[in-house]
Amino acid sequence: MYILLMAKGTAPATPLTPAVFAILLSLAEGDKHGYHIMKDARAPQGGGIQMGPGTLYGSLDRMMRDGLVKETGTSDDERRRYYRLTKLGQSVLAVELERLHAAVSSARALGLLPHGGRS
Amino acid sequence: MTRSSPTTDMLDRLYALALCLYPAPFRQNYGLAMSQAFRDALHDHALSRRTLIPLVLRDLITSLAKEHFAMLRDTFARPALVLNALVLAGISTVIALAIYVIPLQVLRLGTDDPQVELAGNLTWQLEQGVAPTDAVPSGTVEMARSLSPFVAAYDEQGRPLASQARLNGQTPTLPRGILDFVRQHGEDRFTWRPSQGIRIAAVVQRVDGSHRGFVLAGRSMREEAVRQGLLIQLAGLAWIAMLGLVFLGTVCLGWFTRPKAA
Repeated sequence: MYILLMAKGTAPATPLTPAVFAILLSLAEGDKHGYHIMKDARAPQGGGIQMGPGTLYGSLDRMMRDGLVKETGTSDDERRRYYRLTKLGQSVLAVELERLHAAVSSARALGLLPHGGRS
Repeated sequence: MTRSSPTTDMLDRLYALALCLYPAPFRQNYGLAMSQAFRDALHDHALSRRTLIPLVLRDLITSLAKEHFAMLRDTFARPALVLNALVLAGISTVIALAIYVIPLQVLRLGTDDPQVELAGNLTWQLEQGVAPTDAVPSGTVEMARSLSPFVAAYDEQGRPLASQARLNGQTPTLPRGILDFVRQHGEDRFTWRPSQGIRIAAVVQRVDGSHRGFVLAGRSMREEAVRQGLLIQLAGLAWIAMLGLVFLGTVCLGWFTRPKAA
């Protein structure tokens, strides 16, 4: 599906921007609101991206237009908006993770990273 | 529930003010959620203020630039709007070219009128048997300086028989190609450059009868060149004005039909 959409020019090309990658990775766990995504992205295992609200919601806006994420609801006071990965978002994340995995494997083969260590 | 301190409230209000700097559709869509995310960050004890404030300031600068650029792109770079502007710019360019080319042609064709009459008269006299030296009026016209029309008579090989025209003290000779053309077609009207910087509106006609050959009637185009310069300035100004109007119209159309907040 992702390849079909890529051919039509409707899906973002990889490599993804660090912010988009971090958002996709955070939402892979489940529905989350803005600050939760920011917090996940800040953590080393979430990409280590220092992202403010402007970058977060700007990226989410474009990702919704690209069909990578969708809004699933808001908090009672409508101040918190929750987002979820779409099927396309999952495919794009999988392609990006494969790309990164290949790069890490290549770095290991070159002796730039220890074998068997955490990447 | 987290208790707010005066500093937290002040930072919250400052951030709410800063949100006014975002484009209206983006602010309307995400303003509340952004405020909430900032408030959550303020209350997150794992994130110190010394880390948060520079982070938010950097984020404001970069995301403001990005969102304003995106708004400009969405407002003014829509394919229909760009196509509309390009078509109008193309029409303006064609109109400006017409403003230049049509009067230029009319001007150029009008320049030949006296020479056509002079050449016709001289041809008629020579064909009636009048000697070239008698048919060509006396007096000299210096082609490099004078604006007066002049005539000259040439034999079948293009050698001058009688001439009013002088160029650097000599009677000018006609280009061989012109003579060949006139032999076949009877007449030629053309812009002649006998020397650097001199342009002559020339008419050459075939002469039959006892004085077979050619007659030339010409006139300097110096004044026409001045008028042409004026014409190109006017056409250029009209073009710039039309493109300016197209630009303003496109900006206004883009602004009034810009995508509204979802």
